Amino acid sequence: MITLKNVVKQYGNSLALDSVSLKLEEGELVVLKGVSGSGKSTILSLIAGLLKPTSGEVVVDGKKISKLPDHFAALYRRDNIGFIFQKYNLIADLSVKENVLLPLVPMNLPREELESLLEKTLSSLNIKAKEKSLVKNLSGGEQQRVAIARALVNNPKIIIADEPTANLDEKLSLEFIEMLRAMKSKNRTIIVATHDPLFFNLDFVDRVIEVQKAKILSCL
Amino acid sequence: MIKDINFYLAGYALKSLLRDKSKNIFIFIVFSLLVALLASTFFLSASMRAEYHQLIKNYPDIVLTNQRAMQDIPYNTDVVNRVLNLSGVSSTVGRVYGKYAFSQAETVFTLLGIDAFENYANPLLNKLNKKYSLDDNAMLVSSSVATILKQNYYKEYFNFIKEDGSRQKVQIADTFYTPKSSADANLIVMPNELVRKIFGFKKSEFTDIAIMVQNREEIGFIAGKLQEEFPNAKITLKEDLLREYENIYNFRSGFFLTVFVIAFFTFFIIIYDKLSGPNSAQKREIGILKAIGWRVEDILKAKLYEGILISLSAYIFGIILALIYVYIFKAPYLKAIFLNNYTLLSDYRLVFHIDIQTVVLLFFVSVPLYIAATIIPSWRVATLDADEVMR
Ligand SMILES: Nc1ncnc2c1ncn2[C@@H]1O[C@H](COP(=O)(O)OP(=O)(O)O)[C@@H](O)[C@H]1O
Ligand SMILES: [Mg+2]
Repeated sequence: MITLKNVVKQYGNSLALDSVSLKLEEGELVVLKGVSGSGKSTILSLIAGLLKPTSGEVVVDGKKISKLPDHFAALYRRDNIGFIFQKYNLIADLSVKENVLLPLVPMNLPREELESLLEKTLSSLNIKAKEKSLVKNLSGGEQQRVAIARALVNNPKIIIADEPTANLDEKLSLEFIEMLRAMKSKNRTIIVATHDPLFFNLDFVDRVIEVQKAKILSCL
Repeated sequence: MIKDINFYLAGYALKSLLRDKSKNIFIFIVFSLLVALLASTFFLSASMRAEYHQLIKNYPDIVLTNQRAMQDIPYNTDVVNRVLNLSGVSSTVGRVYGKYAFSQAETVFTLLGIDAFENYANPLLNKLNKKYSLDDNAMLVSSSVATILKQNYYKEYFNFIKEDGSRQKVQIADTFYTPKSSADANLIVMPNELVRKIFGFKKSEFTDIAIMVQNREEIGFIAGKLQEEFPNAKITLKEDLLREYENIYNFRSGFFLTVFVIAFFTFFIIIYDKLSGPNSAQKREIGILKAIGWRVEDILKAKLYEGILISLSAYIFGIILALIYVYIFKAPYLKAIFLNNYTLLSDYRLVFHIDIQTVVLLFFVSVPLYIAATIIPSWRVATLDADEVMR
């Protein structure tokens, strides 16, 4: 479903990815592990079509993501990708509801459809009660849920999470892992980039892939 | 059309504006004030132009002044009638006026005679004539004349020294307002007969003769005939009389102020927005939107809505302000600037006269420009790689 073929990514003179090849099946949950600076986020950005590789290609569902013009890359993200960012990347002055609906805004959907998507997503993440609160007034754990809700609201086939527990304490990290389990059970393809050991021995994780110095080391 | 509007996107745009409340309120206020100032200028000059066309309709086509040794001397009634009998002349009015030196105050008054049957070229006179019926021994004085007289202890009347050295006491019936700087500042209005008495004119004498012609095309021809008939006369045509007005109207009414304000307006708004552009939080937000699947066009559309919301509402508000200022409050201050040097009209009627063309022009030099200035910096950011937000 997701294939990276000899992907090289250079930022100026520095090599972030050195001929990386990788294949993910539909419904698979893969953990990318590796120290900071090893190239995990770069891989995620390439899969999300946020970045173009210097050479090599990224293919998702038979589509060459690495060749998509900006306009179509955005549509591809809108329809297929749910991105959970390390720093949540929420808009602090907007409410929970507004943040979660943000990916759907350009689609101009009918009101009822929007409301039902919102309702479903917020209840599944247990933040319905906070719907009207401004994000900046929420705790870290709540913000994490909002970020997840925003990633899930468009029903994406692929969920990408970059260091999802980096800003959470252990209790909240475990909670996130439970939410991850629920996502996995819905047969979504999930990629988590992390150096948090909590992720390395989970029964529902299909593979842990180690990234080191711009290369993929091991596919367990 | 309405179906094409994405109200969620418009809602997002509105929220974005509100999040930067103080800056956007500031822009809104400056924008509407500048539109209001420009529009007021346009409205005022359009109204005055309309008024001006009213004015020149009543203006005499030809003024005939009698001269001897190239000095002005009075005309007799029989001349007025002779002129009236010339073919092509539709009406004649013998006018009575002159300058009176008030040496005590080292100043000169203009004494204008009026007569109930005249159709005055000067709207102020027309108004005064309608408002007051003066008896034989009363006059209307301008506010600055009233001040001068008061300073010389004349509060209720004034003693004119007649041509023969005797005195003529005239009551002050009322005062009318003219700005100090205007050419009418030292105007005194009184019945024709009284002006004659003071200047020593005979009962049948006039200072000059105002002539209306039947056909404007014939003015030149009639002027020629008049010159033949009255070799001593000085002939002044309407265009000569109006040249002074033209200068005021064309120069003051607008061009200068308008150009200045347009330049200031565009300069200010654009520079302000260009310089600040999207700040780092706004740049990050654009990155987030791209990362969650907004196309560049979606982001620009949101910015377009932002630009429209603020500039269109400020524009409309500014136009409304201008309408209220000019037509309800009669444009205080601005009118004084316009009429600085020369006014016969202390309270201009300001006929309601909106020049749609200028309203449209104003729209096109302000709203699209502002929208462009909103969109362009965001467009530059939106087309950059979105993965910055990953860090
Ligand atoms: N925009 C960029 N410009 C320059 N260098 C970058 C940029 N993004 C990432 N890098 C470099 O690429 C390498 C891989 O970064 P990244 O993919 O973020 O690693 P990780 O997510 O594993 O910490 C690092 O050395 C980082 O400094
Ligand atoms: Mg990273």
